Amino acid sequence: MSAQAFETDFWKDAKQRKIWDDIVPGEARKTIPYTLTLEAIQKYCRSVGENHPLYFDEDYARTTPYGGLIAPPSIHILLMFACTPTDDWMRSPGTVNAGQSWSYNIPARPGDTISLQARALDKFIKKERLFVIHDNVFFNQRGEVICSGRGWTIRPM
Amino acid sequence: MSVTFDSLAPGYRIDGPAFDVSRESIRAFCEASLDFNPLHLDDNYMQGSFGKTNFGGIIMHGMNNFGLITRMLTDWAYPAGAVHRRLETRWVKPVKPGDTIRPHGTLKSKLATEKSRWAVIDVEVRNQRDEVVATGEAMVEFPLGAAK
Repeated sequence: MSAQAFETDFWKDAKQRKIWDDIVPGEARKTIPYTLTLEAIQKYCRSVGENHPLYFDEDYARTTPYGGLIAPPSIHILLMFACTPTDDWMRSPGTVNAGQSWSYNIPARPGDTISLQARALDKFIKKERLFVIHDNVFFNQRGEVICSGRGWTIRPM
Repeated sequence: MSVTFDSLAPGYRIDGPAFDVSRESIRAFCEASLDFNPLHLDDNYMQGSFGKTNFGGIIMHGMNNFGLITRMLTDWAYPAGAVHRRLETRWVKPVKPGDTIRPHGTLKSKLATEKSRWAVIDVEVRNQRDEVVATGEAMVEFPLGAAK
């Protein structure tokens, strides 16, 4: 998927997205495989000030136990949107992220084809706000777990 | 300068670099993360209220905090041969253009398990007014092969 192909207008398809009432905890979300490029990794790195040579310097990275360039653990921030279609409810304008927790197994690497298994895990009402917990696991092309995590979102009303 | 598992004691402090938040940095994070939620883009939209909350303008992505905490932890762990294994975070205050934020970590506890060694670290991000904008907890693994 090229950067140009990504729909940056999150209002588009907004009507097709599930709202809190429609979301069924336990039901899988549609996901799409994504090829992670070095360019995308480095663009993400620059946006948060990541400058470690493991992400930028192939010659250096080869001398480390990682054996080559890797992505930082937090690359799942990008993968979450890269691996989901435009009608995914994570894109609903006004979705507020209240917090996330992630566990890391092995690094994602440039050239990996990443797949995502994702679902809503729970939904509830707290202080008159609508919450949904999402549950996600990212895999590489060999089926190895890269990372797994969940997030607490407050849904738009 | 790298640390060793044995030298770590509760209260040990880790400081990450400061990060200047601007409309441009938020836009760059949109482009890099593909998260184009209007919360981070559209001032007109942000004049509206979200339940009882009115942000008054665009806010930084909560996950930008997550990225800064991650950077602090990995830059600390890599030289020690340690591995960043877990990060749990909660956003407690919105961050806006013009803010300067900085992540910190404090070692809470450490534990040797049957097959490895773990450091549990309280993390937080503070703004230029010393207000906490994000809190959380991390785990860094010091594999038995890593320096003692």
